[in-house]
Amino acid sequence: MKLTKAGSGPEKPADAVPADPVPATAADPAGRPSTEPPEGPAVVRISGLSKSFDGRLVLDDIDLEIRAGEIVSLLGSSGGGKSTLLRCVNLLERPDRATIELAGEPVFSGDRAVYRDLAELRQRVGMVFQRFHLFPHLTAIENVVLAQMKAAKVSEDQALETAVQLLRRVGVDHRALAFPEQMSGGEQQRVAIARALALRPAVLLFDEPTSALDPESTREVLRVIRGLAEYGMTMAIVTHEVPFAREISDRIAFLDGGRIIEQGTPEEVLDDPQEARTQAFLASYEGSGR
Amino acid sequence: MFEVPWSDYSDPLWQGLLHTVEYTVLGFCGAAVLGLVLALMRLSHLRMVRFPSALYTEVFKNIPLLAIIFITYFGLTSVGLKMGALEAGALSLVVFYAAYLSEIFRSALAGVHDGQRESAHALGMSRLGTLTHVIFPQALRLALPGTNTFLVDLLKSTSLLVTISAAELMTQAQLITSDTFRALEVYVVIAAVYFALCYPLSQALLWLERKVRAGAALTPGRRRRLRKARVMLASETTS
Ligand SMILES: Nc1ncnc2c1ncn2[C@@H]1O[C@H](COP(=O)(O)OP(=O)(O)OP(=O)(O)O)[C@@H](O)[C@H]1O
Ligand SMILES: [Mg+2]
Repeated sequence: MKLTKAGSGPEKPADAVPADPVPATAADPAGRPSTEPPEGPAVVRISGLSKSFDGRLVLDDIDLEIRAGEIVSLLGSSGGGKSTLLRCVNLLERPDRATIELAGEPVFSGDRAVYRDLAELRQRVGMVFQRFHLFPHLTAIENVVLAQMKAAKVSEDQALETAVQLLRRVGVDHRALAFPEQMSGGEQQRVAIARALALRPAVLLFDEPTSALDPESTREVLRVIRGLAEYGMTMAIVTHEVPFAREISDRIAFLDGGRIIEQGTPEEVLDDPQEARTQAFLASYEGSGR
Repeated sequence: MFEVPWSDYSDPLWQGLLHTVEYTVLGFCGAAVLGLVLALMRLSHLRMVRFPSALYTEVFKNIPLLAIIFITYFGLTSVGLKMGALEAGALSLVVFYAAYLSEIFRSALAGVHDGQRESAHALGMSRLGTLTHVIFPQALRLALPGTNTFLVDLLKSTSLLVTISAAELMTQAQLITSDTFRALEVYVVIAAVYFALCYPLSQALLWLERKVRAGAALTPGRRRRLRKARVMLASETTS
C-alpha cells in the first residue's frame, strides 16, 4: 500500500474509510513507510500454475505471490488470462498443474486440490466481479447477510450488525433495503464489495470492478477500493484503469498470452517497460497517466 | 329454468367439490415434485441421467391425458395391477402434468444467470445452500407464471375423471342429470362451480406472482430479518 492521503481525493474519503484501527489479521504494520513494499507473510503463493481450456494453454507456468497488505494489479490485453488466474486462486477454475498456498496452507498441489474445506477456503478469498452478480431476489443488506449466515454460520443478529457497518463503510447504507435492480451500477458494486468483506477475507480479488460502470460510478467504486487500501487490505486487482493502478499498486504484473511477462513497481512497469508487448499495451492507453 | 331441487343434491355436490379439490392437490403436488426431479435430471452433466428424463417428458407430453387415465385405470387392471379411481386418477394427473412442469422448471433453472452460482460459490456457500437460497428463489420467479397456468389447467382436467366415475364434480353432475333429466341446467350450474373455483384461484396466483416478482418477504424468517434490519438501520443513523 503506497497510497498517501492526498491520493484519496478531496471528496469526503470518510465515506469509505473506517475510523477504527487496522485489525491484526490485516497484518499491516502501522506506520510502515509508504514507499516500501510490504514485507509481510505471503497470503497467496502461486507457483507453476498452468491451465488450459479444451487443450489450449491459457495460463502458462505462472508464479505469483501476494503478501499481506500488498496490492497487486494485473494488467494485460484481453484474453491474456487475467480472469482465469484470479478464478484459479479460489478454485472456481481448476488448474491443470499448480502449487497454491493460502496463508501458508496448501490448497492445491500438483494436479490435485488438497484443501481441507473448500467453503472455508473460499470465505478467506473474497471476489468481486465485473458484473457484480448480486442476488437479485434479495435486498442489499440481505445480500451481505446471506453468506455470513449460510456459509460462515454467523448468527442473524451478528450478520445484520456487520452488514449495516459495511454498507455504511462503502457508503450505501441508505440503500440497504433496496433491491439490486433499483440501484445504480456503482451502488451495486459497492454492495458486492461489502458482501465479500463480510466474510473477513484475507485477500480480495477484483476482476475489472469498474469495467461495467459509468465514470461517476467508477469514481465511487475506486474511492471505496482506496479506502480499503488505507485500511491495509490485501488485494489483487485486474483493471484497465492504468492511472488508478499506478496510484494504488505496490506491484504491477503484466499478463500476456498466459504468462506474466513483466512485473515490478508501478514506476518500473509503467514508466520503463522492458517488454515490447507491455510498451504496445501502454501506448494504447494514451494520456492515461504516463 | 331452475327446476332441479338443488337442496336435495347439496350433499353429492359438496362431495364432488371436495373430490375435485383432492385430485387437484394430489395431482399438482405429485406433478410438482416429479417435475422438479425430472428438471434437475435434465440439467445433469451425465447423459445417462439426462436421457431418461428427456424421454419421459417427450412421451407424456405427446399422448392425451384421457389415454393415460384409461391405461392406468382399465389397462393396468387387465395385467393384474388393480387401482381404485382415486389412485388411478391422481396418478394419471401426476404423470401427465409432471412432463409439462418439468419443462417449465428446467427452463426456469437454466434461466438463472450462471454468475449467480459462481458468486455464491465464491462466497463459500455449499452446493445445496446455493441451490436452496440462490438458485431456487430466482427460478421460482421465472417458473410461477407457467406453473400457475398449469395448476388451473389441471383443476379443469380433473373433469376428465368422469370417465372412470371418480366421484368428483363432473361425475356428480352426471348422476344428478340421470336423476332429473335436466342436462342443460345441471351442466350450466356445474360449469359455474368450476368457474367459481378457477377464477379466484388464478387471481390469487397472479397476486402471488406479483408479490414474488417484487421480492416481497413471504417467509416468517425473512420478514423477521428485514424487520430487524429496519430497526438497526434506523438506530444506527440516529446514533
Ligand atoms: N470457461 C472457458 N472455456 C473455454 N475457454 C475459456 C474459458 N474461460 C476463458 N477461456 C479462454 O481463456 C482465455 C483467457 O481468458 P480470460 O477471461 O482469463 O482472459 P482475460 O485476461 O480476463 O481477458 P479480458 O480482459 O477480456 O477479461 C481466453 O482466450 C478465453 O477465451
Ligand atoms: Mg477477464
